Amino acid sequence: MRKRLLVLLAILISFSFVAASCGDDDDDASDTTTTAGGDMPETDVSVGLVFDTTGRGDQSFNDSAAAGVDRAVAELGVEFTEATPNADGSNRAELLQLAAEQHDIVLAVGFAFGDTLGPAATDNPDTHFVGVDTFVPDFENVLNLAFAEEQGSFLMGVVAALKSETNHVGFIGGVDMELIQKFEAGYVAGARAVSEDITIDIEYIAPEGDFTGFNAPDRAKEIAASMYDGGADVVYHAAGGSGLGMFQAAQDAGAWGIGVDSDQWALLPDLQDVILTSMLKPVDSGIFDAIATEVDGSFEGGFRTLDLTNGGIGYSTSGGHIDDIVDQIEEYAAQIAAGDIVVPTTPS
Amino acid sequence: MTATLPEQTPARGPSTMGVLHHAGARWALYAAFTVLLLSITQELATPSTDQLTSSGTASLAIRWAVPIMLAGLGGLWAERAGVINIGLEGMMVLGTWCGAYGAVIGDPWLGVLFGILGGAFGGLLHAVATVIFRVDHIVSGVAINLLAPGLTRFLADSIFSGYEGGSISQSPSVDDVGEFSIPLLSDLLEWFEERNWFFVSDATGLLGGLVSDVSWLTVVAYLCLPMTMFVLWRTTFGLRLRSCGEDPWAAETVGVNVLFHKFVAVIVSGALAGLSGAFIVIELTGIYKENQTNGRGFIGLATMIFGNWRPVGTALGALLFGFADALQLRDRTAVHALLLLAAIALGLLALRALRERKWVSSVLFVGFAALFATWYAVTDSVPSQLPQVTPHIMTLVVLVFAVRRLRMPAADGAIYSKGEGRH
Repeated sequence: MRKRLLVLLAILISFSFVAASCGDDDDDASDTTTTAGGDMPETDVSVGLVFDTTGRGDQSFNDSAAAGVDRAVAELGVEFTEATPNADGSNRAELLQLAAEQHDIVLAVGFAFGDTLGPAATDNPDTHFVGVDTFVPDFENVLNLAFAEEQGSFLMGVVAALKSETNHVGFIGGVDMELIQKFEAGYVAGARAVSEDITIDIEYIAPEGDFTGFNAPDRAKEIAASMYDGGADVVYHAAGGSGLGMFQAAQDAGAWGIGVDSDQWALLPDLQDVILTSMLKPVDSGIFDAIATEVDGSFEGGFRTLDLTNGGIGYSTSGGHIDDIVDQIEEYAAQIAAGDIVVPTTPS
Repeated sequence: MTATLPEQTPARGPSTMGVLHHAGARWALYAAFTVLLLSITQELATPSTDQLTSSGTASLAIRWAVPIMLAGLGGLWAERAGVINIGLEGMMVLGTWCGAYGAVIGDPWLGVLFGILGGAFGGLLHAVATVIFRVDHIVSGVAINLLAPGLTRFLADSIFSGYEGGSISQSPSVDDVGEFSIPLLSDLLEWFEERNWFFVSDATGLLGGLVSDVSWLTVVAYLCLPMTMFVLWRTTFGLRLRSCGEDPWAAETVGVNVLFHKFVAVIVSGALAGLSGAFIVIELTGIYKENQTNGRGFIGLATMIFGNWRPVGTALGALLFGFADALQLRDRTAVHALLLLAAIALGLLALRALRERKWVSSVLFVGFAALFATWYAVTDSVPSQLPQVTPHIMTLVVLVFAVRRLRMPAADGAIYSKGEGRH
């Protein structure tokens, strides 16, 4: 009896590992590897892309990264494979090491790679790494891409305050941590710049360290519904995949939501009526540029910050909901770019 | 309300109605008392909040309690038949994926059906392993919890990735099944709620949340409660099933087909967990996302334990967690007011202990009440981490305080072999 039990258990457990690993490796060989063809320039650069949790299809941050690589595949003819960490992100380090062993340049999408990039860069000195939102100094083979999210969020605060009829807006952060507080600080400063006495609800879905906050549309939906119930009529989210819930709540309440990272108006066709605009964090062009430097041999490690002065941050006008206030937004943008307005990076 | 009767063979004859009436009145009294407690807390609370008794909080609590309650009922079915089902979480995960798949290729109700079938498949695995192959129940449950996320990830990558908006970790958006309000009644209750009268507005606010914008799927989910009560406590089948959980060897000697009853119980258990998963996808989230069950299968098991393996207790436990979840999502300051509520409730418990001359308990209760009151008085808000862990702390507290009154099915988790007698 005992023997049969053990055999069954062994089968069950090994099956679960097989299934899990199938998912992790993302069938890379079969459907995502693309090779150069036609009249594209000859290059044998191979790119490894390791997503943040959720992966391709989050209609936000990861999709923006994917768009950059897809463009590099189409325009530069590089080869690439992609991988997505499991839900709690515990296998990031392994996926990164694996990608580093197989590719010339590896893109690590998300601040959470901050801890794992260093060791991977040490183990693979000949591989180049690009970390998005990471802070890994002192490596010649690591380029950290940073974005001035506070500047883009300032403009979103301006939009929210100008569009709010109740003089009451909201902000939903995915996880209560420094990176997301940058969004909050900029947004609040922007809203206050337009209307000093505006009411701003601020909520975070999850406390620091609990990254489920970026992947919880159900919780975002209820938090947003509560804000709309309380009188807010424009809410901005910096919560990755959770943002969907905020837009659903906006639709139920007949109010506005503001998207983040990608042009969410284009990504969520069912919710276009309530997506006022999106703060654009062009991860795609940052990644594309980095791959381009790899292809022409000019890759350099260090830091690169994309902000309003170099076109590295912006907003979308899809849907035409903010056409009437673009001039005012541009005014603020010009003042920030000129240094007349200094946007805070931490909430006051 | 029938399950509040002491566990016994169903009473027949005219006395039944009288007992029912009595139990119903008692529960109404409990409910009124709870509302009164909430009203008082809300009046006293600083910083002030109106979320403790708002219709928004009530309707949110009702919805967020559903997945936990269904998981708890799932656990109840299995354990009443003597099979520990720690694989509920995995069965819920199967329910989320299958529910989303059904909703994507068809309509939301097909998703509900697929979710139930997906969970039932998990239940079938568990039943085959534990009932037929006599695998240790915990081992099989853990295996299912490991298997389900891997399987769904593989399936999501091979199927959802092909859809617009889908990926390895999520499905395209899915529609919900639609909702309804009870006309007139919901307007009337809303009118009362807006008056801000002490207690009256609070009670109508909470009631209003129960009758406005109620999803049909929520109704279906709550119907599982009376159905479980009826089938397990009012039918021959249910009596036999429960006898398998109390003493399968004795049941066998009187001709009960123990294997059959355990098998059915575990599959129903999986089906309920699957419905719970489908509910999360279709009703709460509108999309399948990896890992979205978020441990609710285990919390469901906890509610079953502190509901003392009874349906109504399980549902009340789930509502408690739903309420904590709802408050945390709607208004963090309201969570601060819960400290005051805890202090008042502990004070009342202390009074009761005094009346019963239980000196040690009363001193303990007074001490804890003072602790909560002090905490409440010296702070304006609770740390942002606290609301997140509140349900887990509440589980621990209830288990610690109630553990002596709990009675699990006598042969829960026992390995039964047909015709071989006791080991």
